[in-house]
Amino acid sequence: MLHTHNNILERETKREKHNISINDHNDILIEVLQRLDGRSLAAAACVCKKWCSIVRNDALWEHLCFRQLSVPPSVGVRSVVLALGGYRRLYLMCVRPVVSRLKKRRSNGGHTEVVRRLWNRNEVELSLSLFCVEYYERLLLGDGGAVGGGESAAKSLRFLCKTVNV
Amino acid sequence: MKRGRERKKETQTTSSSPPAKPKDLTQTLPDSGGMDELLEVLGYKVKSTDMADVAQKLEQLEMVMGEDGVSQLADTVHYNPSDLSGWYQSMLSEINNTGSDGVSSSVDFDITLPGDASTTMIDFSNNNVTNGQQTSNMYDDDPYDLRAIAGGAIYGISSTDESLEDRNGIKRMKSAGSDEIIDVPPESPRPVVLVDSQEAGIRLVHTLMACAEAVQQNNMKLADALVKHVGILVASQAGAMAKVARYFASALAQRIYKIYPRESLEDLHMHFYESCPYLKFAHFTANQAILEAFAGATRVHVIDFSLNQGMQWPALMQALALRNGGPPAFRLTGIGPPQPDNTDALQQVGWKLAQLADTIGVEFEFRGFVANSLADIDAGMLDIRPTDEEVVAVNSVFELHRLLSRPGAVDKVLNSMKDMKPKIVTIVEQESSHNDTVFLNRFNEALHYYSTMFDSLESSALTQSNTLDLEMSEVYLGRQICNVVACEGTDRVERHETLTQWRTRMNSAGFSPVHLGSNAFKQASMLLALFAGGDGYRVEENDGCLMLGWHTRPLIATSAWQPGSVVET
Repeated sequence: MLHTHNNILERETKREKHNISINDHNDILIEVLQRLDGRSLAAAACVCKKWCSIVRNDALWEHLCFRQLSVPPSVGVRSVVLALGGYRRLYLMCVRPVVSRLKKRRSNGGHTEVVRRLWNRNEVELSLSLFCVEYYERLLLGDGGAVGGGESAAKSLRFLCKTVNV
Repeated sequence: MKRGRERKKETQTTSSSPPAKPKDLTQTLPDSGGMDELLEVLGYKVKSTDMADVAQKLEQLEMVMGEDGVSQLADTVHYNPSDLSGWYQSMLSEINNTGSDGVSSSVDFDITLPGDASTTMIDFSNNNVTNGQQTSNMYDDDPYDLRAIAGGAIYGISSTDESLEDRNGIKRMKSAGSDEIIDVPPESPRPVVLVDSQEAGIRLVHTLMACAEAVQQNNMKLADALVKHVGILVASQAGAMAKVARYFASALAQRIYKIYPRESLEDLHMHFYESCPYLKFAHFTANQAILEAFAGATRVHVIDFSLNQGMQWPALMQALALRNGGPPAFRLTGIGPPQPDNTDALQQVGWKLAQLADTIGVEFEFRGFVANSLADIDAGMLDIRPTDEEVVAVNSVFELHRLLSRPGAVDKVLNSMKDMKPKIVTIVEQESSHNDTVFLNRFNEALHYYSTMFDSLESSALTQSNTLDLEMSEVYLGRQICNVVACEGTDRVERHETLTQWRTRMNSAGFSPVHLGSNAFKQASMLLALFAGGDGYRVEENDGCLMLGWHTRPLIATSAWQPGSVVET
């Protein structure tokens, strides 16, 4: 028993000398995570506490929401989005369903589909509007904590959450 | 007694009929000539050996008529037999005319056929297919009374053997004279009982229209009978058509009996907002026009004739917040009806909107006006500021048509609108003509319009797990149907008119059209693309206005206007 323990220790010290742990380098980690899609990001959040806290950073989700924009969003967007619940929520409630719904429609229309496509200003604007409507609806319904409330969407966005019946 | 008589008839029949079905005649018949005794009492002559098949057909009939078909029918009003004869005749002649045989019963029940030939019998399968409403009478009233009504005519079957095995039609001889047979053309018996629902649906529509016509001609007795008939037909239908038919039938009944509906209390607006895209389309397209009109302004004022829950304004406020150069100061004046419980609903909405405005950083001011009618408001009350200080927009979603119930009201409001000096007026209205002076025309238009709407709702139903919104939306539309059909005079407020009619009115009131741009079209198309079941929705551009429709039928139209005649620039 002691013998195997010593072996393990030996192996670990050897590893330390030769390997780099990603957990030691936040900026590299963030660079990698920035390139992931939403689903992978969510999976990454389950790896360990450190990754979880990094992934929960809203900046990552902001990057995810807008990195495919042909034109970067205007300056005031961030404060509005943060006030309405943050980018992670924006992605979850609006961006992801809008993009996937429109992508499905396009591919059904016979166009060849690139997995990551640029999405345009109109789609961004629509998502933001829907996000704002959803916030207002939670206000109306009088959720105790309307700001940053629960993970479930208010009713006005439920239509986005259902699968397309094509 | 009866049984004896039947037995005697039976023996007569078997002796005189040719061996059309050798198999049957050679079967050994138990006691009472092979007839099931209980059914005999009802007037059916069914061989005991066929009972299994009969039972199966009865079950199928029940299934086809709906799970609670029996109980529904048990609730139907009991007919006065003397009134029924004419009704039966018309129904039967209709049925017989669809037959291929060419032997049709004219007016009488007493039809006997010549000795030979393809006489027909009422096969249970035929009954179910063509005589849906006949067999329903099985449950109506006491069976013995039925015999009295029908006199064994409809239900008397002279010979044996519901020849279910005979696929080539039913050939039976019957004895002339003693029995009266209803002539039902020999359709090839189908192995499964199928009510041709499409045919039944068409019959439903025709009956509704016939009822409306009767009302138009003030023939209330006929209208009454027809509306009850609709009730029976509806029982065998499901889906959007049945729901629409129920609402129309109920509205017709209210018109016939002069029971006018009370003011509905609960506000179902939000449910309608959630369950289908019509209101969202209205809001997004109107907002786009308003946003474009507000370009460059530092202070803006929106006067909303249709505040309701204020669902239109968050999106506009967000767009203003993110506009280049920052948001203007946003003032909202909301107009709404008095609440039954005297709560200040408008202030509540204003308060929530103010919270939102605060969150996203838009300077916001709200004022609410409670009014029974838009005509009670004039520009002086609204604190209109000079146009160089503040840009004004007027917005009305599904409200202007109500003014048409009082003469002069709409003109007064349009004039007030001009006094408000708006840069833009956005109007969304239902695209249909429900304000014709002739009742029948209104009815037919409304029937088509609301059928289409219910169809579109039904397709949304496929993708929603929460059906409450959908059901409440149907009630919401049902109230409109009731108003169009059952009400008159100042009570009838759902006086929808088409875009063309509104265009004429706006032009003569001194407004010129503002074209909704391509942005509005794109946004609307995208919005609809997001809706599951959205395959059926269509956005159309109509000379600068946008219309949302279901398949080929436009249902609502958004238009934008500015004061000043077309000539002025």
